[in-house]
Amino acid sequence: MSVGREKQLRYLVVLQDIDNMIQESTTEQKLGFATNLERLQKMREEVAKEIPPPLLRIYEMLRKKYKRAIVPVKNETCLGCWVKLPTSVSPRGKENVSIFRCENCGRILYWVD
Amino acid sequence: MDEFLNYFQADLFIPELNATTKEELLTEMVNYLAAHRNLKDTQLILEMLKHREDLGSTGIGYGIAIPHGRTLSVSELLVVFGKTTRGVDFDAIDGQPVHLIFMIVAPPQEQSNVYLPFLGKLVGLLKTPGVREQLQEATTFQEFISIFSGEF
Repeated sequence: MSVGREKQLRYLVVLQDIDNMIQESTTEQKLGFATNLERLQKMREEVAKEIPPPLLRIYEMLRKKYKRAIVPVKNETCLGCWVKLPTSVSPRGKENVSIFRCENCGRILYWVD
Repeated sequence: MDEFLNYFQADLFIPELNATTKEELLTEMVNYLAAHRNLKDTQLILEMLKHREDLGSTGIGYGIAIPHGRTLSVSELLVVFGKTTRGVDFDAIDGQPVHLIFMIVAPPQEQSNVYLPFLGKLVGLLKTPGVREQLQEATTFQEFISIFSGEF
């Protein structure tokens, strides 16, 4: 695995935020807010370039199923499905080399302090 | 009382904002929120709101602005709302200065999806004939909230 998984995950979180903004912008426009969809799409393209294609494919596959494909872990719990993770799923010392997914829902996990 | 009204809290009401520019307005409201709630990083909120404004002004016309967005800095939906008698240029879609401002911040993750429905309900309410005019006259939180209550 390449060095810099942590950085890739950060890009993935940003990508997800942009995707959600794109999705929500449709509702916002209906409510009368001005949103620049073209600019959002351009931002998305730029961020997506920073993510390795295999990881991006997993993310996009998960996005078809979930609004949040990448979710934080808090108190050893996946904040996507709220299932407690087994102790073997721990980022300690491995966060820079591995991608972790929830065994229950399959979402990509990231740890926040 | 409708759950919607519970998001308006007395200590997050600013009867008269001092700001004279859009940037000052956002800063003043974020600082006010920071002074009244224990939040992780309020600078992030300000940056998020400015980025959102870069995508298009949240000044929806009729003297109303609803700066909003999601941020990791909050764990629940928070609403800061205030008035400015003199008005502030907010690049609103109708070019008019804004007098009523509702700043809405929500977490990126929501167990119950309240953010967009709240936004929709607020916009709908503010478009109700007479409501904006009454809100312009309100000077206290109680007056403000009773105008909203009257619409339910």
